[in-house]
Amino acid sequence: MRPRVIFTFFRYEVKRSIARRKIIVLAFFTLLIGTVPYIGLANLHHALSLIPTSDYPYLWVAGVFLPQGLFIQFTAILIAAGAMSEEYEQGTAELLLSKPVTKAEYFLGKFFGGYSLIAFIILLNMVLGVVSATITFGQQASLSVLPGVFLAQAYAALLFFTVAFMIGELIRRSSLSYIFSAALFFTSTIFGLYLTVIYTLTGDVFYKHIQLYIPSSPIASLPLLYVNGSLPSGVASLLSSIEGLAGGSVESSIPFSILLISIYFAAAFIVAFVFFELSDVSRKVS
Amino acid sequence: MRPTSGSVRIRGLDPVSEHRSALVNVGYSPELPNIQTFLTPKELLALTAEELIIPKSEVSREIKATLEIVGLTEYTNVRVSKLSKGMVQRLSIAQALIGSPDLLVMDEPMIGLDPAGAAHFRDVFRRIAKERGGTIFLSSHIMSEVESLCTSVCMIHRGRMLFNGSIEETIGNVLGSTFLIVEADPVENCLNSIRTIPGVEEIRKENDRTLELKVKPGKDVRPDIAEAVIRSGAKLFSLNYSEDLLERTYLEALKKGTNF
Repeated sequence: MRPRVIFTFFRYEVKRSIARRKIIVLAFFTLLIGTVPYIGLANLHHALSLIPTSDYPYLWVAGVFLPQGLFIQFTAILIAAGAMSEEYEQGTAELLLSKPVTKAEYFLGKFFGGYSLIAFIILLNMVLGVVSATITFGQQASLSVLPGVFLAQAYAALLFFTVAFMIGELIRRSSLSYIFSAALFFTSTIFGLYLTVIYTLTGDVFYKHIQLYIPSSPIASLPLLYVNGSLPSGVASLLSSIEGLAGGSVESSIPFSILLISIYFAAAFIVAFVFFELSDVSRKVS
Repeated sequence: MRPTSGSVRIRGLDPVSEHRSALVNVGYSPELPNIQTFLTPKELLALTAEELIIPKSEVSREIKATLEIVGLTEYTNVRVSKLSKGMVQRLSIAQALIGSPDLLVMDEPMIGLDPAGAAHFRDVFRRIAKERGGTIFLSSHIMSEVESLCTSVCMIHRGRMLFNGSIEETIGNVLGSTFLIVEADPVENCLNSIRTIPGVEEIRKENDRTLELKVKPGKDVRPDIAEAVIRSGAKLFSLNYSEDLLERTYLEALKKGTNF
């Protein structure tokens, strides 16, 4: 395997996604999500009065964590599900692979090219959240945790990114891949919420244990677990409500979350790669 | 694509298990030029050059030269989405030619090309075969195109090879004869002398000044026929092999239904 060729496909995938305007639309929504809530909050005096002034320096957490549960994961799915399938539909994979390159180089280049875009979206969301919070609520505090939060969110996004990438490769139809991947994500999230409700009502830890293993749990918990303890207790209530939106209350540990994400990632990655290696690169399928 | 049966070797290498090594110096232009529409010809060729690991210092020169060959210099920076079908076909050929491969696989390369473009590419392919001494696999349904360009032919019908060999041999094997078209005036003057030429099996008068001769394959009798026409006092306007020989061969092979 040659890193130079992998990088060629990496850049190609980035360019392809930008050209399909998907990433531009997503960046635009990121811009909206990262700025509008702060502008709205700053202008809604009634809502503003509910937030203690002491929490103002920590309002960046809303912008950074709010999109984590749904928007970032959905964005990862949108980018990944079409990465392989669109190439089959347009018949372009055949031409790219008719050159002396290996399938592994093509696969890795496209995978990491797409993943770099979701990492960019996470970074953009983070920067916009912090800048908007600073402009509307003044100097923000505890920003030193941001690099770690970025890594945690990016690693968490790897799970559904890889699952959607795998589904795109297996199905080879972009629209179906989006639907299946999104359905899997939303089912997992809603299932997590149900399990939380059942556990809360019954107190039976069995439901809580099941919830820990479903794919939406580690991606919701990892970034939040990372900042736990780094922020004042007053901000914890805000984070808890965000946690609730991201698939129910999750209690776990950072190593366990990393392990679960790694297992899901490895399984989806291996399945996608083996299927790609063993199956024919078909001509235009649609 | 994995074979359902049989095997293919490129310079002794299996293109499935030894994909990368086997495809070095191989250019391929697919039947449907599915090229990403957001790219420009320059960007597509740059991408291809990167796949081929062409040294950076040579990439610009290679792209320029290749675009010149296919006649797309004016459209270097125009997006594929804005190009006509013929231009996209030219670009598809260009991405196969970049890097000067010595083995070209061209699947219906003339589809979508205007007559001038088709003539241009026939010249390009002849020149490449001559100058590089390589091999061009040309897949086509246009028999006259194959006949005018190729030295060997392999005909496949419903996945079965009907015949394979040099064009002349194949025509001879299938039809048992080859056909010459003689245009002369007055054509009656030379009929008797042509009939006596060894190898001429049958003469059919097509019109007042055109004859179709059925001749034995293997020996080129055209100089003898030209001489006979001129000696007879007739004027010779043209003397060529029939242009639809390969088509006749194909139809005959289908009719006989056996391999040749």
